Amino acid sequence: MSHPRPFHSIANRWRIVTSFSLWGATYVGVRLLLDTPVAGGWRAALALVPLPFFLWLLVELIRALRVMDELERRIQLEALAVAFPLSLVLFMTLALLEIALPLDPANWSYRHIWPFLTIFYATGLTIARRRYQ
Amino acid sequence: MKNVLRTMRAQRGWSQAELAERLGVSRQTVNSIETERYEPSLTLAFRIASLFGERIEALFTPDPPH
Repeated sequence: MSHPRPFHSIANRWRIVTSFSLWGATYVGVRLLLDTPVAGGWRAALALVPLPFFLWLLVELIRALRVMDELERRIQLEALAVAFPLSLVLFMTLALLEIALPLDPANWSYRHIWPFLTIFYATGLTIARRRYQ
Repeated sequence: MKNVLRTMRAQRGWSQAELAERLGVSRQTVNSIETERYEPSLTLAFRIASLFGERIEALFTPDPPH
């Protein structure tokens, strides 16, 4: 019988940290570059540069999920069970507010909203981890 | 569900990390089971029982019905 390995094996962690760092760095770099007058045709291509690094991160996260032990899987599930409904409520509320009020895209657009999703996930993860400590 | 995992582990002189390694789980999982914050799956419970050479009932006792 093959036993699941703990999630935080060094190889797993290294690959996740590397892919996450590359994704984050390219995102920030592209974000800064898009504030400069880059030639119009290149702007869309530039915006897609972080995508391969995110796909790598996604593969690593799925790979990590497959070798997590049962408690870590439960913690991840509970974190997502908090994060997903919160994200849903955020988007639904913003959708209604968008109809009700003229929301300024300079303050409320995709680039402002996605960080909330990571905050929701981190919140869910913290709650779940504390529960099993 | 009550369990005597901490006692059994202490009898063998194993640390939580050692037991976790033998079971193929994280130390946090062992700690959560010992503190009865987490109830292991049947598969893991069988693995624990097998490691200690005991029957599952000798290690885990279900809570009395309310």
